[in-house]
Amino acid sequence: MVEAVAVASGKGGTGKTTATLALGMALAERYDVTVVDADTGMANLLFHAGLADAPVTLHDLLLDDDDVAVEDAVYNRFGMDVVPCGTSLDAFRDADPTRLRDVVAELARDTDVLLLDSPAALGSVSAVLPVVLADRVVVVLQPTVPALSDGLKVQEYARSYGTDGAGVLFNKVHDDDNVERIADRTERYFDGPVLASVPDADAAREARDAGEPLLARAPESAAAEAFREAAASIEIRDEAAEDVAARFRSAVVPEQP
Amino acid sequence: MRLPRGDLVRSRTATAPGDALAWALDAGHTGYVVFEPADAVLGDGDDACVLTVADGVPRLAYHTDTERGGPPALADIAGAEPYSVDCYAVDGSALTDVPETDELTVAPDAPAERLAGDSALAERTRAAAPDEWTEESASPSDPVEAFLADEERLDAIRDRAREEARRKAREWDLTDALVDDDEH
Repeated sequence: MVEAVAVASGKGGTGKTTATLALGMALAERYDVTVVDADTGMANLLFHAGLADAPVTLHDLLLDDDDVAVEDAVYNRFGMDVVPCGTSLDAFRDADPTRLRDVVAELARDTDVLLLDSPAALGSVSAVLPVVLADRVVVVLQPTVPALSDGLKVQEYARSYGTDGAGVLFNKVHDDDNVERIADRTERYFDGPVLASVPDADAAREARDAGEPLLARAPESAAAEAFREAAASIEIRDEAAEDVAARFRSAVVPEQP
Repeated sequence: MRLPRGDLVRSRTATAPGDALAWALDAGHTGYVVFEPADAVLGDGDDACVLTVADGVPRLAYHTDTERGGPPALADIAGAEPYSVDCYAVDGSALTDVPETDELTVAPDAPAERLAGDSALAERTRAAAPDEWTEESASPSDPVEAFLADEERLDAIRDRAREEARRKAREWDLTDALVDDDEH
């Protein structure tokens, strides 16, 4: 079985990468998890996962270079398979975003959950592709009007491409943000439940600086506990890996000009 | 709300609210801005929202007809685009004499959010605001609650996003990946 879940936000700074790795580590207790940094233009997952020196990354897979195999960019870290993306702007320019489809199809053959850390914008094919390819999307929000407004936009893009909602994750929540009071209304406008409310925590910043996922660095923190709670509310759907791989492979993706 | 007399420095008819707010912010305007729905200009109503602005950042709002202040004053003219917008300059020290009561104050980003629906402008305004103004408004989650209670506005955001998704899909040659509207 395998399911591809895009972790998206529509807005930068919501802690999406921290969330992706945290959900990945928590889900890895129940499933084989592969985390992909699909934010090819603003990659930062490599820094969060201690993979800053990774010799091969998703960028290499998106180049028209048959010498690099998908497994070369897969690193087993923190109980998950992690596919980081490089930060070179040249590599981003030369990369063919539509090859992501083939990479995802290949990865889908050998995992239960594919988590796609998606770009925080919707302005290009490469930015929107993870949401197009995924089965479901988790929208990471801060409890602010701009974040909710941009999150709604991501949600509508996802719906337009038939991508279901796995729920909403409130992140970087402050004590005085009364998320409980807005959860009901949030659920009326977003697909899926409010998965958790994750407190803003120094632990998350320290983990990022240390190049470790939050759940590895500060597993006992309240933020880590909230991420585990969120992951526990996500039931991964059972779909045959081969079917999913085939679906990705046949997914409609435009030719590069 | 009693305001000192100001000098008219900018006047636009049938304009978008974000336009005037962005101008005020970029110009570091100090004074007040009068938003009057264009429909009201033609009638004999007194349907205007007066917004004081200090160094480009909105501070107090008052509706001349409903006599409501703060966020309700913005709500009274929200969605009534286009507006006739007059910007008056007032000396900053004269403006600080206007009492800043809780009933009149608005969050720095509230006009950009509520009138213009422009998150980027709201963020920019917030960034330009004195810390104590943003802290006041950030403490309760009221703006978020108000936002989530504004069904009309949320539907409008969703409709716009849906249209944009479809338009972009055509541009990016992704239309075959779209699902029919009817399915959702």
